[in-house]
Amino acid sequence: MGNAGKEIKDGIRDGFPIFLGYFTTALAFGLLTRTSGFSFVEGVLVSITNFAGSGQFLMMNLYNAGTFLLGIALSVFFINSRYIFMAASLSGRLKNPRSILGRLMCGFGTTDEVFAVASFKGIKLPYTYMAGLIFTSYSGWVSGTAVGYIAGTFLPDVVQKAAVITVYAMFASLLGGEVRKNAKALLTAGVSALINSVLILAIGVSTGLSFLISLIAATIFGAMIYTDKEAGIE
Amino acid sequence: MNKLVLILTCSAVTLLPRIIPYFASSFLKKLPVFIRKCMLLLPVASLGALIFPLALTDFGPLWIAGLAGVGTAFLTSFFKGPMILAIVIALASTTGMLIAIG
Repeated sequence: MGNAGKEIKDGIRDGFPIFLGYFTTALAFGLLTRTSGFSFVEGVLVSITNFAGSGQFLMMNLYNAGTFLLGIALSVFFINSRYIFMAASLSGRLKNPRSILGRLMCGFGTTDEVFAVASFKGIKLPYTYMAGLIFTSYSGWVSGTAVGYIAGTFLPDVVQKAAVITVYAMFASLLGGEVRKNAKALLTAGVSALINSVLILAIGVSTGLSFLISLIAATIFGAMIYTDKEAGIE
Repeated sequence: MNKLVLILTCSAVTLLPRIIPYFASSFLKKLPVFIRKCMLLLPVASLGALIFPLALTDFGPLWIAGLAGVGTAFLTSFFKGPMILAIVIALASTTGMLIAIG
């Protein structure tokens, strides 16, 4: 086997833990698309064309709340803006930075987990390695969505009714992990929770607008209380 | 809303921020530190508003079922449980609560 084959295999091996994590998380996403009234094709198409955990859950969340397209697009863009820095960082680690096709593939596959694994690889990254890593992760995400959607058929009504909690559980789980690393995360998220609740429940602002206002206010608050190092600035 | 338009719009606002930097990475290093910090903190800051108040209001008068789900998911991950375990426990808690009080 040549060098390229070995690098692809290396990528697949590193991608396998991501495959498992994505597959199981995507099960919940597939179930959510079903309970939100998406067809099987539409549900799976979301995962095929987006390949983003929090962005997709956010999209469904706002869609179910009746938010306008522009509100959903802006919110999804904001939550994805962190990728700008992950992608910029990874682009500096590529072995052959000029290949257009290779860069498109890496851009498509720059998820939080792929970024983390590739960043800690400690070598100049060949596209063959990145291809193995990205397509292993991607197949877990897409197949998990499909299986989750189909599995929904066999779940009793009360579980399907409760399934809306999976999206909030994912967010709460992410928050739990962040708070364990730094208690300031709880304060920062607390600000957006408070503002959002007041705007929606007491003042009656629409969910999309309220989310944007809360997000921006809490982000500025967070940027003031986190040190540069805690925030991940190199 | 047309679902196909929704899906493809979200795809664009997801993939463009990932792909463009591979073709324009020098520009980003010139942004002020405070802006870069904000972009890194956006995901954490969003979590509170993503959970509250909709996780509760989605269940109407049975809001406590929603609270049980997010509370158990938070604690599971805070004590280092994997995300899928947090989601399963949350689903079980919310289902149990709906059956108990619904």
